[in-house]
Amino acid sequence: MNPAADIPLWVAVPTALLLLLGAGLALVGSLGLLRLGSFYERIHAPTLGTTLGIASVLAASMLYFSALQTRPVLHEILIGIFMVVTTPVTLMLLARAALYRDRTEGSRDVPLPSPPPQRPGTDASAPDSVIVQSGAEKGRQGL
Amino acid sequence: MPDALILLSSIALPFLGAIVAGLLPTHARNAAAWLAGAIALSMLAFVWAAYPTVADGGVVRHAIPWMPALGLDFSLRMDGFAWLFAGLVSGVGALVVLYARYYMSAEDPVPRFFAFLLAFMGAMTGVVLSGNLVQLAFFWELTSLFSFLLIGYWHHTAAAREGARMALTVTATGGLCLFAGVLVLGHIVGSYDLDVVLASGERIRSHALYLPALILILLGALTKSAQFPFHFWLPQAMAAPTPVSAYLHSATLVKAGVFLMARLWPVMAGTEAWFWIVGTAGVATLLLGAYVAIFQLDLKGLLAYSTISHLGLITLLLGLNSELAMVAAIFHILNHATFKASLFMAVGIIDHETGTRDIRRLSGLNRSMPFTARLALVAAAAMAGVPLLNGFLSKEMFFAEALSAQTSQLFLLQILPLAATAASAFSVAYSLRFIHGAFFGPDPTDLPRTPHEPPAWMRFPVEILVLACIIVGILPAATVGPFLDMAAHAALGAATPDYSLAVWHGFSLPLLMSFIALTAGVALYIGLQKQLRSAPDGPPMLRSFDGRRMFERAMVFLSWRLARTLERLLGTRRLQPQLRLLVCVAILAGAIAVQVRGLGPGNVMPSGIDPVLALVWVGGAACAFGAAWLAKFHRLAALILLGGTGLVTCVTFVWFSAPDLALTQLLVEVVTTILLLLGLRWLPKRIDNPATRQAEVVTLTRRLRDLTIAISAGAGMAGLAYGVMTRSPPELLAQHFLARAYTEGGGTNVVNVILVDFRGFDTLGEITVLAAVALVAYALLRRFRPAPDSVEIPEQQRDQSAYDEARPDRSEGDTVADWLLVPSVLTRLLFPVIILVAAYLLLRGHDQPGGGFVAGLTASIAIILQYMIGGTHWVEDRLRVPPLRWMGVGLLLAAGTGLAAWFFGRPFMTSYFSYLGLPLLGEVPTASALVFDIGVFALVVGATVLILIALAHQSVRGQRAVPRSSEGRAAATRVAGDD
Repeated sequence: MNPAADIPLWVAVPTALLLLLGAGLALVGSLGLLRLGSFYERIHAPTLGTTLGIASVLAASMLYFSALQTRPVLHEILIGIFMVVTTPVTLMLLARAALYRDRTEGSRDVPLPSPPPQRPGTDASAPDSVIVQSGAEKGRQGL
Repeated sequence: MPDALILLSSIALPFLGAIVAGLLPTHARNAAAWLAGAIALSMLAFVWAAYPTVADGGVVRHAIPWMPALGLDFSLRMDGFAWLFAGLVSGVGALVVLYARYYMSAEDPVPRFFAFLLAFMGAMTGVVLSGNLVQLAFFWELTSLFSFLLIGYWHHTAAAREGARMALTVTATGGLCLFAGVLVLGHIVGSYDLDVVLASGERIRSHALYLPALILILLGALTKSAQFPFHFWLPQAMAAPTPVSAYLHSATLVKAGVFLMARLWPVMAGTEAWFWIVGTAGVATLLLGAYVAIFQLDLKGLLAYSTISHLGLITLLLGLNSELAMVAAIFHILNHATFKASLFMAVGIIDHETGTRDIRRLSGLNRSMPFTARLALVAAAAMAGVPLLNGFLSKEMFFAEALSAQTSQLFLLQILPLAATAASAFSVAYSLRFIHGAFFGPDPTDLPRTPHEPPAWMRFPVEILVLACIIVGILPAATVGPFLDMAAHAALGAATPDYSLAVWHGFSLPLLMSFIALTAGVALYIGLQKQLRSAPDGPPMLRSFDGRRMFERAMVFLSWRLARTLERLLGTRRLQPQLRLLVCVAILAGAIAVQVRGLGPGNVMPSGIDPVLALVWVGGAACAFGAAWLAKFHRLAALILLGGTGLVTCVTFVWFSAPDLALTQLLVEVVTTILLLLGLRWLPKRIDNPATRQAEVVTLTRRLRDLTIAISAGAGMAGLAYGVMTRSPPELLAQHFLARAYTEGGGTNVVNVILVDFRGFDTLGEITVLAAVALVAYALLRRFRPAPDSVEIPEQQRDQSAYDEARPDRSEGDTVADWLLVPSVLTRLLFPVIILVAAYLLLRGHDQPGGGFVAGLTASIAIILQYMIGGTHWVEDRLRVPPLRWMGVGLLLAAGTGLAAWFFGRPFMTSYFSYLGLPLLGEVPTASALVFDIGVFALVVGATVLILIALAHQSVRGQRAVPRSSEGRAAATRVAGDD
């Protein structure tokens, strides 16, 4: 009935172990997402699942289907490549947005951009107070 | 000459000529005139070629089967009666073309005029030669359309536009009534074939639906022939160039109405209803037209009302239910066409050479254009019914018929001769006014141009027509006799009475009436001299009774007041009431259906609930609730949650083994989410104004009501779905498709085979709708101006630009470009990959999940990604996607594949498949459905990208529109930028 019963044990065991490893990593990543304190810490947590976690699951899939169909099944590699390409895009977008928000809100936890060079005739003492004020204002408006 | 050639050329030639004339250069006046003249003359020759057949009482026929099962054939039929009209159309047409060559000014786009004129000629020939009633109604509407174009030829003048619109409104509405009447008639007879209809007179007259059919058909005929109370459009149509008036409004178009009445006379006349409707309309028009004509100041207006009056005379003759009257009517149709066309042309000459048609300014033209004056004099005398001219003969017959009319209402017998004599006297008076006002009296003083004789060829058509008036008037039996006889026999069949065409019938009552009318008319004109000189335009007593004004009032009421009221009552600009209305109607429809048919339990027992799927659904439901909850105050979050719901739906499809649906759902979800995200930027920011807030109770009630509506709609939908899904599916379709997908459609993906083959026509319709939707979205967004608070460049970009400005080593836009450099490089790398996936999905669609729609969405996602990550300018510098061309190519491919089946003698949309041997790949299954699918693909790409571009250009334009504010720029200088 279940095709999984037909595959030999020496394939079944590593497949199961790889699956468990992948699922475990994803679980740890999710827990981290739940538990970690700041956004910048949290953003690292899911990468556990999207790197080694997904790699384990894909390896398990390759192993299992190769054994089942008695030919090498390799297209999971493509999935891996696309994960590698696309995951950073998402995370970078999120991190950039968070950084921008923190800077506009005047948070002291994030590094400031490099200060502009002094121009003749401009008042150099203003910027800090301006940042705080505009941050508060923007906080009211919301995003 | 074969019948088919004669008939088909008579119809096809003018239409072909119209196309050729339309393609001539704008000022090719002579070429267009030669073309039109040649076509009119060759039509005349073709018609003449049919004479030997029809003269023997034969009928020339040709039919091309079109939809025989519905009784619809393209059928042409020419008997003696139709021959007479066809000759009239082509003969007068040729004269009018010659006249128009000299009348039309070189500055006008003359080829367009001749194109319209030829097309009208073709439509008119179509009306008279139609052997099928539906076809007749079709050509009938064509004549309305082309007369609209001809009247509105000088569309820069308001009068032409108004007149054209009024003529079209009245005659086309009448045409619609006629069409309905024809359908009823066809229902009564059981066939639309004219021969069959003409043979079943008894059946028609005794049928219960006779009266509705009669009224509808007469509405068509009376509007076309400008009969009271629909006469008012004809004087307005005088804004047309005079050749048009001479042709349409004397000889042909307005005669279509009387033609139809005469055509159906043998089967529809002979009843009281016919007598009352047609007779009354005829008498009223005859008297009213003649009376009003006396008081017109515009020569063309005078002729227009006189035309109305003469048409009334013909209608009255037709309404008298007597065969002799019918013969008189046919005769008068001919006579009126000759003298009225020549009079119109004479007025055109006067207008052309003096610059005015105002009867008060014209006078004494007899001296400057003596020849034209003589011609007009003869024609006007024919119109007045002076002996030895053709008008006299038919009028004489009319008097005789008025005297001998048969009816149950005795008092009519006294009224009819009186009315006939009075109308005749009026016509003498206005003919006198025409001639006396224009040609006699002192020399004109304030004419715009110095009058002189027109070019000889411009006068030539008038000369021909006037000559015809005289010859027919003197020797009727020898000239027009055979033709009239032939036409009367064709129209009446065996019932044709004996009549005599002679100038002199001895001293009789009709002659006395003619004499009285002549004398009274002259007396009336002399008596009215004083009043006519001072009176304003329009007749006394009836001035306030103005059909045109009533028409305008009706139009204003219909198109403005009524529309506005309906809009106020039913329409709204707010989205919420619209949605509420829509949903409530849906609930109501569902409830009624359930009420009528009942909603019992299904016959399939639901299987157990899978805990995993249940869990997924709980997640989906939570997302849905969250989306609804946050929709008002946090749109972005609501959108994300909505995406979650969509994903759950997608997973459900996968769960139940519907990969095609899942794939489509996923991609649609992605595209809509992206487009909505792009749209979010343009929504106004939230307005929180406590002052305008409603009382708590009102708000609460409103929310409760909306909640009730929402819940009942949702629950109803769910119940309906449950009811359907717990029934075993009907055997018919699904099994049929499953069994035939491979054997007949050539594909193993049944869903795709259904889409591109079995239901290909549906798909064609759907993609057409999609194209229309995309165009509408584009059109709406083109005019869209965002709310003031979302016009500005986004805050972050402003900050970033300010950052650049503060640094001498950076130019503006650097930070914006740098901000997402790594992600954008990665995304660009994905572009070819996604396109490849799209191609893969497209090509495998016929056998495995995929297909044109999904592939199109995938490709458009690739493009959308580039727009988002690179910005509009960046993408459009590098990748030009002409979405309209994509859509056009897609539609053409899809429709072309369907049409291609015709060339192989198969029905529309038949698909073909075989195995194609390709190098390297070997045997590849190929179906013509693939081409169709490529069409779908191209259209989906085009439509999606078109909407996307409309949104993207919004932000480009929005920034241009608003000058950037400098405040706040400095403030943000330090907070943005690269790190």
